[in-house]
Amino acid sequence: MGLQTLSSWTGQIGTVVLGATRSEGGSRSISYSIGGERDLPFLGSPPSGHRPLVAYEICDDLSIWPPVIREFLKDRIREPGAWAREAGDQWKPDLIRLFLTSTRKRDFRDFAAIRRTVEEVLQQSPLPLIIEGSTDQAIDSEVFAACGEAGEGERLLLGTAEAGRYRSIAAAALAYGHAVIAQSPIDINLAKQLNILLRETGVPENRIVIDPYTGALGYGFEYSYSVMERIRTSALKGDADLAMPIISGASDTLTVREVREADPGISQRVAVTWEFYTALSSALAGASIVCVRHPQTIPLLLDAIDALWGGAQELQGVRGSHLPHVRHETCQWQRRRGPLPLSG
Amino acid sequence: MKLASGKGDVDRCPYLDDQARDILGSSTRPPIRLVKVGVGERSFPIGEEMVQFRHEKTFYHPPGMMVAVSDLWTRDRIQEVVARVRDTVVVRVGTDQRLSGVAIRHLSGDPAAFRTAVEAVEEVADLPEVLMAEDPAVMEQGLAVCGHFRPLIYAATEKTDETMCNLARDYGCPLVVKADDPGRLPDLVERCKGRGVQNLVLDPAAPSLHQFQNISTAIRQQAITRSTPSLGYPVFLDAAATGMQEAAIVTGILRFASVLVLENPDQASLLAFLTLRQNIYTDPQKPIQMTPGIYRLGTPGPDSPVLLTVNFSLTFFTLQGYLEAARIPCFMVIVDTEGLSVLTAVASGKLNETLVAESLKKFSLEKEVSHRSLIIPGYAAPLSGRIEEASGWKVLVGPRDAAEIGEYLEKEWKQ
Repeated sequence: MGLQTLSSWTGQIGTVVLGATRSEGGSRSISYSIGGERDLPFLGSPPSGHRPLVAYEICDDLSIWPPVIREFLKDRIREPGAWAREAGDQWKPDLIRLFLTSTRKRDFRDFAAIRRTVEEVLQQSPLPLIIEGSTDQAIDSEVFAACGEAGEGERLLLGTAEAGRYRSIAAAALAYGHAVIAQSPIDINLAKQLNILLRETGVPENRIVIDPYTGALGYGFEYSYSVMERIRTSALKGDADLAMPIISGASDTLTVREVREADPGISQRVAVTWEFYTALSSALAGASIVCVRHPQTIPLLLDAIDALWGGAQELQGVRGSHLPHVRHETCQWQRRRGPLPLSG
Repeated sequence: MKLASGKGDVDRCPYLDDQARDILGSSTRPPIRLVKVGVGERSFPIGEEMVQFRHEKTFYHPPGMMVAVSDLWTRDRIQEVVARVRDTVVVRVGTDQRLSGVAIRHLSGDPAAFRTAVEAVEEVADLPEVLMAEDPAVMEQGLAVCGHFRPLIYAATEKTDETMCNLARDYGCPLVVKADDPGRLPDLVERCKGRGVQNLVLDPAAPSLHQFQNISTAIRQQAITRSTPSLGYPVFLDAAATGMQEAAIVTGILRFASVLVLENPDQASLLAFLTLRQNIYTDPQKPIQMTPGIYRLGTPGPDSPVLLTVNFSLTFFTLQGYLEAARIPCFMVIVDTEGLSVLTAVASGKLNETLVAESLKKFSLEKEVSHRSLIIPGYAAPLSGRIEEASGWKVLVGPRDAAEIGEYLEKEWKQ
């Protein structure tokens, strides 16, 4: 095409590898590289770096999961292993993100159960796995050790390290060969600081993924959007302390007022739309992994990311060859291939 | 000085010759031309953008969301859509978000049908319009109806630019220029300018979303760096024609489209894109603020807890979300920190004991509750003593993180 972008960057986003196949010492059906960009998201033909991934979020205790999801899944939810397997088969996410929400209960101590849950998910689902452990410093050490050990060799992505709460997770990642999510509260300087802290603890930069915290669409999303753009441009300008791939999961998306108070008839559709807009915008801001909770959002996002990434032939080698997809079976916004809808 | 800072206009100086005016004008003029679509209350300006990233300054003029109708449709079907565009309002954080106008597509092959369709639109509302017909003879039929209401003419191509420019000039309308190879847009723009049409909009006619975001980024970069001044115009995107409207709307809003044409959106989609547009076009330096006052969660009674926080919308919504999740009826007292967050409001002194005491009095909080206990944010702890003295209310220091508010209330709130 006749118009060129003027970007001239000196930096490059680092690459992080997630998941390990049998030949790589794990048991996943695929492993992914994320990051590697030398330019803004989706720019260039083909774009630089690796295509963004879509993660499907599940949990082991549904009591704090969005009501709209519980309503959608109904009796289809049994336990995390079967949930991960069925969702993987039906909706084709690139990877699974397991929230160990059971650890949020007061005085939680059942670490053996955590280990069993992780093993179960790894056994049932062949996809690379992100695990969100505890959110309470008092049990971090036991929880992350249990997750880390149960997934040894699988190159998990463990979340979430924060300033003042990163040692247990870093220790588990280092001991068992996993990567770490580093979360900071929508602040580029704090993001950078935490990356430095993690590296000083011994976590190499190719095992750190930045989570700049994503507010839901309409509830501060613009701050997250701009922080992601700033992290990305700083890295491309050469700031190595910010040159890690970004993960974005706007976990409040499905509990915002628009979704909660939607008419029952359209609440599922509002949920999917809200997630789709937030996640696709995050990918355009520079996120390498976008996370969603409504399974119907997955095929829509995969389609949109493919369309932004470029031609169908390029797709074959990246996603298609590993995971023969049968997308669309229940997708509401199928990509139209016929004539324009207005012609009728 | 005024000229250099962008406050004065070079045309107001009577002593400059044309050459000097041109030189001065081109370095002080906004790199992307301001174009107005429509007339009256609902008309909207596009363009005059300065940056590629909103964090560098801000994005100024939100894109027009134009809902398409077709001249193959019945009058009723057209008017139903137009009425919806006219009437739809989504109120978000105190502002009205609306659809912007109507795009009338010529698909019938019959110029008279196009004219009838434009008449049908005009009967219902005075909305900004895009007239979409590539044949100048058809366009003329539409302009005969609404040409004096400054519709956006779509489009002049390399084949039709002469006649389309004549129409745009005669009616004083903005004109979309469309080139199948975007590399030829600068030439086409210069030709149209040479024919006396200044208010132009660019359609790069990208064959895919991937191409659109590449080309649109290139146009924005070349425009704001003034490396190709002929590209200093707003960008047009026919989102409906991409076959994946939702993805195209997101991409268009984030990647510099100023006019988007879309199929009649459902309620979910409409809510989402109006919200995204508002988010992205919010000035990063002027955070969205809540109106100060008392906000009720659930149906609080005289012994319900009272929580104080600032009027930064994000703080408000975050706290509100966790309070709703906690299911404890309570009062939120929002004080005016000019949109600053708790931490910055404490640091800058905007949040202080005088403001708190005066706000409590002004909102007549003592009439709402029988107790005199006020929960303040954890980060405002240094102010607790002074707030007690100034207001006479007992101060309880809440958690720093809103996520912990439910647990805090459960443990600490005993009346």
